[in-house]
Amino acid sequence: MIKQLFIVLAALWLVGCVDRSWRTAETHEIMPPLDFSLIDENGQAVEAEEYRGKVTLVYFGYTYCPDVCPITLARLAGTLNRLDDDVRDDIQVLFISVDPKRDTPEVVKRYTNAFGTEFIGITGDLAEIDALTNRMRVTYDYEEPNQRGDYIVTHTSAVFAFDREGEARFLIRDSHPITDAVADINQLVDQGD
Amino acid sequence: MVSHLFKAPRLLAGGMLLMLITAGHASGQDVQVSNARLSLLPGEQPGAGYFQLHNTGDETAVLVGAQSEAFEDVEIHMSSEENGMAHMHAMEQVEIEAGERFEFAPKGHHLMFIGRLKTFSEGDDVEVLLEFDDAQQLSVTFDVVSPVSL
Repeated sequence: MIKQLFIVLAALWLVGCVDRSWRTAETHEIMPPLDFSLIDENGQAVEAEEYRGKVTLVYFGYTYCPDVCPITLARLAGTLNRLDDDVRDDIQVLFISVDPKRDTPEVVKRYTNAFGTEFIGITGDLAEIDALTNRMRVTYDYEEPNQRGDYIVTHTSAVFAFDREGEARFLIRDSHPITDAVADINQLVDQGD
Repeated sequence: MVSHLFKAPRLLAGGMLLMLITAGHASGQDVQVSNARLSLLPGEQPGAGYFQLHNTGDETAVLVGAQSEAFEDVEIHMSSEENGMAHMHAMEQVEIEAGERFEFAPKGHHLMFIGRLKTFSEGDDVEVLLEFDDAQQLSVTFDVVSPVSL
């Protein structure tokens, strides 16, 4: 009897473990909760706390980027399209610019609107953006401007997922199949229900 | 540009030459272009050009640049990812070996279209001249698309 109970408990424990693991890459142990003081796409000062209550996906990029950023956001929009409507209602995507000089609130708003209503543009003071990226241990780097004064920004390519309380949960890389991202986002939304 | 295009194969009638150009042949190297799309978002942000090149000739074709009357500048760029970081850099040229295909595709090689001089809608056509190292130019029609459709 005790042995059987042990097996049941062990099985439950294993199931519990499976529930807490992600097909993409786990970040809870290595990344602090989402915390920032920035400017939203309507030009209003915002704190990370204001985005609590929904699952939040964060991507760091810049709108002058013609290829990687729009393709990543388009892929993310495609991922969200695979979710049920009620799941999607519980998700927001923050596109946080690492190039606030060119990315004004109006620019990030127009840019993110092209990908769907879940996408919100965020910009802000460079010092505040640095505080956020330093805390999250993600990096970006400006390259030398060309003769036109344009410059390329090298930036982290992952999408970071946070739960409704702003706790880091997992990150999605390009190499992760969309089906894995869909499964993890569904699971993360489920956890809060 | 027009005079330049008509310089080389003088024996060909103008109409026939135009047919060759629209079919995507660069004299010297026979290069065909297919599936040319210009990914654009609303606003002033630069766009990305994606297409496939097929060198049907016997010699290596070398793409050295591009231009369009609809943009201030067009550059050859390449995106790459290293240690979780997205990089992009300009390229001087791209070589397409004889008989080979070469793809300008999302998150890889692309044309970067900078400084749009007019507004576009999805479904519009944009004429682009691809420039090769033997001074030949190839006129290609790009379809304007949203990155969301790629």
